[in-house]
Amino acid sequence: MRVLVVEDEPSLSRQLETALGEAGYVVDCANDGEKADFMGQTEGYDAIVLDLGLPKIDGLTLLRRWRDQGLSVPVVVLTARGAWHEKVQGIDGGADDYVSKPFRMEELLARLRALIRRSGGQARPEMRCGGISLDPRSARVTKDGAPIKLTGHEFLVLSYLMHQRERVVSQSELTEHIYAQNYDRDSNTVEVFIARLRRKLGAGAIETVRGLGYRMGDAA
Amino acid sequence: MKSLRGRLLLGSVLWTMGMVVTTNFVILGLMLHRFPGPVVHFGAMSIAAVGFLIVGIFHLRSVLAPFERLGKQLGAIRRGSSPRVEGPFPTEVAPVVADLNALLDHRAQLVDRAIARSGDLAHGLKTPLAVLGQEAERLSASGQHEPAAIIGQQVERMRRQIDYHLAHARAAASGSTLGATCSVLESAQGIARTLSRLHAEKGVQVEVSVSPDHCVRAQREDLDEMLGNLLDNACKWTKSRVTIGSVEDTSGTLILVEDDGPGIQPEMRERVLQRGVRADEAGPGSGFGLAIVADLAELYQGSISLDASPLGGVRARLRLPSCVTHQR
Repeated sequence: MRVLVVEDEPSLSRQLETALGEAGYVVDCANDGEKADFMGQTEGYDAIVLDLGLPKIDGLTLLRRWRDQGLSVPVVVLTARGAWHEKVQGIDGGADDYVSKPFRMEELLARLRALIRRSGGQARPEMRCGGISLDPRSARVTKDGAPIKLTGHEFLVLSYLMHQRERVVSQSELTEHIYAQNYDRDSNTVEVFIARLRRKLGAGAIETVRGLGYRMGDAA
Repeated sequence: MKSLRGRLLLGSVLWTMGMVVTTNFVILGLMLHRFPGPVVHFGAMSIAAVGFLIVGIFHLRSVLAPFERLGKQLGAIRRGSSPRVEGPFPTEVAPVVADLNALLDHRAQLVDRAIARSGDLAHGLKTPLAVLGQEAERLSASGQHEPAAIIGQQVERMRRQIDYHLAHARAAASGSTLGATCSVLESAQGIARTLSRLHAEKGVQVEVSVSPDHCVRAQREDLDEMLGNLLDNACKWTKSRVTIGSVEDTSGTLILVEDDGPGIQPEMRERVLQRGVRADEAGPGSGFGLAIVADLAELYQGSISLDASPLGGVRARLRLPSCVTHQR
């Protein structure tokens, strides 16, 4: 799962990057409205954490612009403006959630997790696919009740596929969602992760759809 | 006639004419008593005299009318039902009215600027506070629980102080002095929309049954703040249902916010609403929002109380002056 953090205060941006990274997300950061606008429109993010008081383009303007252009990525507004009329403005501007500063990182993470899960159409916190279950709250994966140890990238690949459920995910889409922007991407590594996941979870866990990509299998 | 000078002149001329005719009438009457002779038209003369006197008096009184009107309008401004002095005034009074309006505008601008500044100050402080809060969490994670707890507590205290005083400053500066009115339904729907997102995980929907005609004398931002705090609280405690309704009667508009949560003990009801309690001393999390509601309600000459809802949880009764009854 890849998240864009838009925050102009460098210390807070760094803290968010670290905390989200530790929680298992791939994080990109933007420190002004223009950069955020460009990144939000050109990269595929699973969620955006957006500050409102930004240099160059104000966060609320940015949010409305994205929504007008049909960008439907879940957005959590993270702002110092905590009055209720401001919350109404933010939600009406297209935000999916609103957290006011100062905030507890745990709460932000919980809200982000829930948002990403709901945007994939999952109603319950824990995701299941056949015998495999993945809990994004603890980043734990089990198969038929037995815990499975995954590396960071393996977890990212499995988590993205499980969030998409029955949808077929192309190799390039998968690459985009598991690497940060400045990372040297190599789509062949996705095949390596898929192969390792199949070894750990069973050959039928992930299906290859010829010419299109991957999806979670029924025979897991 | 636009000028006071003209009106005064006309009034005095009429009055003088009335007096002259009356004097002549008295003198003539005395003379006729002694030397009965020529026929004088007494009837016509007396009617003319009385007529001149009455018109003169009324005219002089009308000269003072603009001052009375000015006095009334100033009263309305002070009560908050009108923002400026409106309507035509005589040429001598018009410059004073213009200056007065300029002064009111200037004052409104100063208030707006002060609100904007206090907002900037509050927002400027919150991001550094967020940074400090995160550092405290990291300290705690690395095993230094005591300093982490102290920093965490202080950050929370500062946040409360900022929220409390910001809401209070904005309302005290603008809300009660300007003739602002707003629709209860619009505010309630906005807050309901927002809360359905903020409490999406719980799946709470606020049932809004407010008449579109109900309107209260308050700034929209302040009504949003009051309804936001009340409804958010209800959403936090509810099992499944949160409702907001309103009733209008002669003493104002009564807004009712209800939930089906666990409710609150009668002896706690007063405490969570306690006004004047310092922000950092007011009860845990939820109670603090209610203290802001109580303060705002008081500023608008309204009130808030809590009792038990037929749904099973808390019923908040927020009373505010309505637009209609005020104009009686």
